[in-house]
Amino acid sequence: MKKFVFKVFVVLALCSLVIGVNLNVIAAPKVVRIGFLNPLSGSNADAGQQDLNAAKLAVEDINNSGGIKSLKAKVELVIEDSTSDAKEAASAAQRLFTTKKVAGALGTGISGLTMPIQPIVERYRIPIVTNSVNDDITSKGYTYTFQVTPKGSQFGETQVNFFKYINDKYKLGLTKAAIVYENSGYGVSTAEGIQTLAQKAGLKVVLYQPYPHGFTDAGPLVTTIKSSGAEILFPVAYTTDAVLIINTMKAMNVSPLIIGGGAGFLWPAISEALGKNVNGLISVASWNWDSKNITEDPNMVAITERYEKKFGGFMTEHAGPSYLGVRLIAEAVDRAHSDDPVKVAAQMRKLSLAKGTIGAFMQPGRVKFEASGWNTTHPVMIQWQDNKPRTVYPEASATRSFDPSFLKK
Amino acid sequence: MKNLNISKALPGIFLVIALIFPIFIHHDYVMHISWMIFLFAAMGVGWNLIGGYAGQLSLGHAAFFAVGAYTSALLYANFHLTPLIGGLAGGIVAMVFALLIGYPCFRLRGPFFTLSTIAFAEIVRILLLHFTGFTGGALGVTIPFTGERPLYLQFYSQVPYYYIALAILAAVLVFAFLFERSKTGYYLAAIREDQDAAESLGVKSYRVKLISLLCSAFIVALCGAFFAFVSGYIDPDGVCSIDFSTEIAVIVIIGGIGKLWGPVLGAALIIFLTEATNAYLGSLKGGAGMLLYGILLVVVVLTKPEGIISFFNIGKSKGGESIDDKHIGNAVTE
Amino acid sequence: MDGTSFMQSIINGLMIGGVYALFAVGLTIIFGVMDIVNFAHGEFLMLGMYLTWALSRFFPGVPYWLIIIVAPIMYVIGYFVYKLSVAKIIGKGHGLYILLTLGIGVILQNGALLLFSSDYRSINSVIKSAAINYGHFTIPTGRLIAFIMAIVCVIILNFFLNRTNLGRAMRATGEKSEVAKLLGINTEKTFAIAFGLGIMLAGISGLLLSPIFYTYPRVGVLFQTTAFVVVVLGGMGNVVGALIGGLIIGVMEALTGAYISLDLSILSTFVIFLLLLFFRPYGLFGKARGI
Repeated sequence: MKKFVFKVFVVLALCSLVIGVNLNVIAAPKVVRIGFLNPLSGSNADAGQQDLNAAKLAVEDINNSGGIKSLKAKVELVIEDSTSDAKEAASAAQRLFTTKKVAGALGTGISGLTMPIQPIVERYRIPIVTNSVNDDITSKGYTYTFQVTPKGSQFGETQVNFFKYINDKYKLGLTKAAIVYENSGYGVSTAEGIQTLAQKAGLKVVLYQPYPHGFTDAGPLVTTIKSSGAEILFPVAYTTDAVLIINTMKAMNVSPLIIGGGAGFLWPAISEALGKNVNGLISVASWNWDSKNITEDPNMVAITERYEKKFGGFMTEHAGPSYLGVRLIAEAVDRAHSDDPVKVAAQMRKLSLAKGTIGAFMQPGRVKFEASGWNTTHPVMIQWQDNKPRTVYPEASATRSFDPSFLKK
Repeated sequence: MKNLNISKALPGIFLVIALIFPIFIHHDYVMHISWMIFLFAAMGVGWNLIGGYAGQLSLGHAAFFAVGAYTSALLYANFHLTPLIGGLAGGIVAMVFALLIGYPCFRLRGPFFTLSTIAFAEIVRILLLHFTGFTGGALGVTIPFTGERPLYLQFYSQVPYYYIALAILAAVLVFAFLFERSKTGYYLAAIREDQDAAESLGVKSYRVKLISLLCSAFIVALCGAFFAFVSGYIDPDGVCSIDFSTEIAVIVIIGGIGKLWGPVLGAALIIFLTEATNAYLGSLKGGAGMLLYGILLVVVVLTKPEGIISFFNIGKSKGGESIDDKHIGNAVTE
Repeated sequence: MDGTSFMQSIINGLMIGGVYALFAVGLTIIFGVMDIVNFAHGEFLMLGMYLTWALSRFFPGVPYWLIIIVAPIMYVIGYFVYKLSVAKIIGKGHGLYILLTLGIGVILQNGALLLFSSDYRSINSVIKSAAINYGHFTIPTGRLIAFIMAIVCVIILNFFLNRTNLGRAMRATGEKSEVAKLLGINTEKTFAIAFGLGIMLAGISGLLLSPIFYTYPRVGVLFQTTAFVVVVLGGMGNVVGALIGGLIIGVMEALTGAYISLDLSILSTFVIFLLLLFFRPYGLFGKARGI
């Protein structure tokens, strides 16, 4: 009797799973679905939330201006939480692509979560647009991954070039550099770039130190920075670590010139955590809301203003490229006259959008993907002024000047 | 008598159902969950050899999984070696690790043994993260998907993975079945009853436990190799975390520790539950699935520590008396 | 690296070591009295941190005085967790203790995740970047206060265990519970009190940490593994041992981080752990308890 019950239990369980799955797969007409896969829980949730806000705004904008015109269809966002764990992200991608019919997807904004899902993306032939930056994302021969953002290795180049620029201009005479980075996909990629270029630029790298993500005590790290005699610090960190490092440095009176490595150094949370003390802080960014390619096009400015109105606070470094990503997928669907992901991907590869189109949203003012899936773009440098990150470099993108009053001594 | 006949036929019935299941239902997501259940079940059976039969509660088994995954993945990345060989190599490397840790750790009893397995797994994880040049560090190892390559376990459809995982599970179950009834299995049962008495009768508990651990490590490493090639990407925090180690152990405990089919039941239940919760609640709030799993664990420990399989009275293991209430407390003690 | 950095590292290590010590003392009491390794200890620290954070929203400013609210609440929570779950499996073997406390830990962690989300919370107080400067050395104020309060708590606790009847009853129960029963000590109640006490200490550690670390659901995991090492180092059940052990581990971590590599600093803790387990499982100060 008990064995029979057991068998029935197993069969019922499997049946309910199958039914549940099939209910999701039946698609409704006249709707184009775009998938969203980003961490909404776990340590990277703050980034994922920025991506979600942007994606929602993009879908709203698309539908308010007629949706996908060639299909007379509206766009719908299908949200899946990748969590901040790589295995879960892969499961979530698997679930998204096999149970929901999507024309394309946005995800993820975190390098360590994008790489695990790429094989699944490739297997199911769904075009995804990512705003993470690790170089490996576009160098492994995947054909369905489209990266709108600069590469991690470029960050270093921009940071060092900017440093040289202000070092020369304000005659700072600094030469000793320390590079500290989070031991993750994003951190390693960026740090390697910085090191190579710092050395090339004639700087002496006195410290090259990885630290474990989510560490609780920055004391030893800051002590090491202090004893290395570094005059310049290139830190690569997500929000919480960035704030921890800066606060600890302040407490321990360690104050080299900080050239932030993006991520935590330019998201809103650091402004909340540091208050006025965030002003003057410099960082590299994969995108910024007030770069020239945006400010010279009123339509682009309007997008950033709509974001600010809807979500409060400036449009963030994650939000910008994510917004663009969703718009690009919609554009590709429109051109393909179809929501078949293979056809959509083919259109993505052909896209060449310049001034006057949504392509202007990403610096230098146009979007075009190489064969590897990478959009040829470059990072910008920002400086926090009036509690907002302002683009100060390179000249072609800058809309504000660098404020040297924060350079101490 | 009748009981015995049905319970002998049961595995056969399951096997037949499992074999023909994809003919009717081959939706990729169902296949994906199925092979995950088979894989976790196989890992659980492997864990059970040392956790259940030998009564040594290990919370560091992810280390063996990681060793298998990394060995096979790195052999591929550097020498283009097929996982069919790479996996075996991974299993062997894992056995070496097992020797290294078994030797000192088995001297420890109860929670000290468990703590040492945790420390060991964490050391492996930290080293994997640290030696970036060798293991790729935090960037992990990628096995890019470039099309259908059966020799490298690269398939478009999830169905082949279903069958491969099923084969692994079947092989591991057969092995465990034979293991239970082998000399080693009998010695383990004796040790579980009363280690000192067994030793006084000439049972070399050290050796017997070590053999269990070696087999356990090999099986779990093999599963790791499979996983590396199916998912195409591995990194230290993903394959060597303490959460993962705990999950493997808990699956067996909830299903039925020390019983042959316990891990299978536990895997089916846990994975089904977690996927269902993630699918229906995931986008709203993270953590619901794991919360359920924690509650389940507490409930099982407080009410039915022999595991849910005891509801069905299946799997009376050979090699002496059946493992019941009295023995479970001991099975996971000193 | 010069002498100043060396001293600074020692200071860093001692400061954090003090908190490790307090946290580990709670763990060691539970083990000493009831033979249970509490795998959810880190989650109770996390609970203490969230409690402090929640209270600080109503009472802004420096949170240390909130100890008068947090400590009793955590004690009660510990007492009831014991009565409702742990009490039911006393005597049934270590395996079940481990699994039960693991399960409780998972429930607490994910409960926190569902209730508070994974957002990192912090107490906004000037403590965060304040420091005392003494020559070349800097001692972050938050850490110094945590250190001092931790040491004070340990001293009070030691007094309690050695000089009060209840404390002596707890120690007796820990040594030989059957004999303690014969002497008329209510072992059941003693276990509950010990557990409550241990949890209370975990909660206080959380309060002390809340101005200097972020509060998030998984924060306990980091401290828990270190706590295990400290407890083994000091000898399971030995309060003073845990104190000294905590300081030693703190300093060791700081020095490894400074001189070898930051990402390997945790590694040194684990290696020490394994060495201890193999060669001196009763720790530097414990007695061979027939483990």
